[in-house]
Amino acid sequence: MEIFLQQLVNGLTLGSLYALIAVGYTVVYGIVQLINFAHGEVFMIGAFGALATYLLLFQGQTALWILPIMIIGAMIASVGTAVLMERVAYRPLRNAPRLAPLITAIGISVFLQEFVRLFFDKVPGTDFPSAKAKIPFPQIDVVTGRAFHPMEGVTIQRAAIFTVAMLLLSAVGLWWFVNKTKLGRGMQAVSQDPDTARLMGINVDRIIVVAFAVGAALAAIAGVAQGLQITNVNFKMGFIAGLKAFTAAVLGGIGNIQGAVVGGLVLGLAEAFITQYTGMLPDPFGQFGGSSWKDVWAFALLIVILVFRPQGLLGAKVVDRA
Amino acid sequence: MNLPTLPDTLREQHSGKGWPLALVGSLLLLVSGLLSWSFDPSILGDISIAFWPASLQLFAMILGAVGVLLALMHRGPLHRLGDWFDTALGLRALGTGSLLFVVFSLVAIASEAGGLVNVNPGGWLALAGALLLTVGARFVPQRQLNSFAKAKANPVLEIVVIVLGMAAILFGAAYVLGRDDPWIFVGFLVMAAVAFMALARAGFFTWMSHVAQRHRHVLTLAAFVVAFLFPFTQDGSDANMSIATQVLIFAATAIGLNIVVGLAGLLDLGYIAFLGSGAYVGAMMSNAASATIGWKPPFIVVMLIGACVAATLGLIIGSPTLRVSGDYLAIVTLAFGEIFRLSMFNLDGNNGPDLTNGPNGIPGIPDLNLFGFDFGKPHTVFGIQLGRFSNYYFILLLLIGFIILVFTRLNNSRIGRGWVAIREDERAAEAMGVNTFGLKLLGFAVGAFLAGLAGTIKAHQDTAASPDQYIFLESAFLLAAVVLGGMGTVAGVLIGATILKLLPEKLRFFSEYRLLLFGLLLVIMMRVRPEGLIASKRRQLEFHEDDEELAQEVQADHLIDAAPEAAR
Repeated sequence: MEIFLQQLVNGLTLGSLYALIAVGYTVVYGIVQLINFAHGEVFMIGAFGALATYLLLFQGQTALWILPIMIIGAMIASVGTAVLMERVAYRPLRNAPRLAPLITAIGISVFLQEFVRLFFDKVPGTDFPSAKAKIPFPQIDVVTGRAFHPMEGVTIQRAAIFTVAMLLLSAVGLWWFVNKTKLGRGMQAVSQDPDTARLMGINVDRIIVVAFAVGAALAAIAGVAQGLQITNVNFKMGFIAGLKAFTAAVLGGIGNIQGAVVGGLVLGLAEAFITQYTGMLPDPFGQFGGSSWKDVWAFALLIVILVFRPQGLLGAKVVDRA
Repeated sequence: MNLPTLPDTLREQHSGKGWPLALVGSLLLLVSGLLSWSFDPSILGDISIAFWPASLQLFAMILGAVGVLLALMHRGPLHRLGDWFDTALGLRALGTGSLLFVVFSLVAIASEAGGLVNVNPGGWLALAGALLLTVGARFVPQRQLNSFAKAKANPVLEIVVIVLGMAAILFGAAYVLGRDDPWIFVGFLVMAAVAFMALARAGFFTWMSHVAQRHRHVLTLAAFVVAFLFPFTQDGSDANMSIATQVLIFAATAIGLNIVVGLAGLLDLGYIAFLGSGAYVGAMMSNAASATIGWKPPFIVVMLIGACVAATLGLIIGSPTLRVSGDYLAIVTLAFGEIFRLSMFNLDGNNGPDLTNGPNGIPGIPDLNLFGFDFGKPHTVFGIQLGRFSNYYFILLLLIGFIILVFTRLNNSRIGRGWVAIREDERAAEAMGVNTFGLKLLGFAVGAFLAGLAGTIKAHQDTAASPDQYIFLESAFLLAAVVLGGMGTVAGVLIGATILKLLPEKLRFFSEYRLLLFGLLLVIMMRVRPEGLIASKRRQLEFHEDDEELAQEVQADHLIDAAPEAAR
């Protein structure tokens, strides 16, 4: 029972992180039918943006009020990156064959990773550490520190609570944005029918930029949460996280925002439970459990979903694009 | 190289003055190479002595010679050739390009020797020549051209041109690989690119492609002879041969990928796993101390087993294509590739059965020994010593020849046409009776089989197999080679593979920025020339659907191709 509860906690934490990133994939895909392969890098840049904000303004401090400012710094970095990349790389390719934007996305992904690796410590006027190795992430009062032990054998990290709380907050905020604001309703209209939306006077180009920005903002929050959880950041953290978040987006039904949240949580739980319970099987099967195989299980799940249920759990908003 | 064109009135007014200016500019460029370019004899392979041209001076002279040739074809003793070649466009490209080259050279001198004061009159003369050529070429009027389809030159002459071209490639490759100075290396590349562009604009390569079609066998033979002779130009040095073998393995794998991506249009982002499975089979069945399989069959058998394992994986990876296509297929293949790498990383005995030695991989794989021929030992042929890598180079050359044969034969077969049909419109293909699923599976299997063959040799040549050789980035590199060179063509992939493997090896000073530039290159290519450097016309059309002229060309080509078959 303790094991089950512990894995439930782990799965929900992991899942919240995936969900926050997955929203970015799903929003963009729902509107332009593009797998923004570089979205994992936007997440990574969010984490580095928060780190840079901290190092610039609050080095050595641990007060809680710093955290919102770090999140704003992270959002500025990742939203800026996402908007720039839409404008420079994706927009010119909007009517190109589908291979072109995908290859562009791979290019951007490699470029952004290397850009951070090479130039993070060369920002003029700062003495940032080199990003070629892992950089410790700042510790903040209240959200990091001593873990909770609600019962014997179950540990809940403070950062885990923060992650889940941020997901809830973001989900409410996103719901409000999509359903109650003019821009959000514009997004819905464009995702249903871009041509008609354009005829109704919606600036489709602007809506696409907004979609990239919304996804990037949530990815930035995820970046901060990830940094607090594993207490360090590195330039490679976006690749695997991005791939798994994409799995989550497909699992929930790509283009479907609620789906992305559900998919993220389900994927997180599945990963935690499969890893744990496979490891408890008798050998030789038990050898395929544990943390060294967890990514394999996640990818296997990705393949199974893509092959057998490409429309996802809640049903994709976009039919017959894949 | 598309500068804004001049107003027509201005050009007509001065049309007579363009040609002499261009000719004088080219001659100046040619002569400048004979003068001293720099005070400092220690830089750039000594370009300080008059009448003893070296490195950059030689390159300038080559550009000048091309300029003189084009100018004389426009008006003068060779003017009859001007009816066929667009000399005006060629000269314009050459002018802009040589200006670029000369400026690059002056920057090189200035930065190596410390300031522009070190530039001797020769360098300034070259600049003046390039400027004159650039300005003059703008005013050279274009002429009415004949179509190459009607051109019939002496076949012997055409073959001589092919042989000379191949010899130039061999000589150029041997020369440029011997350069260690990055300025000279890049300078050569700039010069070669400028000469290539100028000749391409003049229509020289259109003519060459017609010639190549008439003498396809001669061309193929010549290309292989050149590739075969290459190790003999290296004089026993293994450094360049090591790069060359890497290029060959990379190219062989990329051609296999080209079947999947270029012909069948299925995006595969986990292709490196096939090379990896071949390499791991080769390693596990080798005589290495840590090899995990006791059975040691002859290498030919190992090769076949490795290829078959890869092909089986290809079938497994290809099977989702029944239900998945497009972007989702790309992600599925990427996930398979990652699963392969992680499995190789994990199967060390603690996490699953001991097959691969985990993260350490299988080191110490002995050299190949085929029919008593030891690939590890240097051999001497005609008094020229050939090192270890040369031995591998020859066997890889055989392999790549086989792979190219498979590729071209498939491409021109019913199967290849089926792939193209699937790529262009899968539903229409299916409606026309193409077995889409079977053909897609076959594409994956054949591509994987070829990569597996290359992998078994790679294991011996690298003397080790480890998981970190088969990361996602390598798949991205392979894809980039296909995309950069041109999807669906062999020549394109060969060029793409060479560029992607050779440049980082020779340009060590930018190795730090290698991946950064690689990412940038992919983005820029997709925006500027998504069909690749050497694209098949048909593929090009897919990226430029509204290009009517191209559409007619493609149609004409296919009609020409079809006509003799119908007549038979």
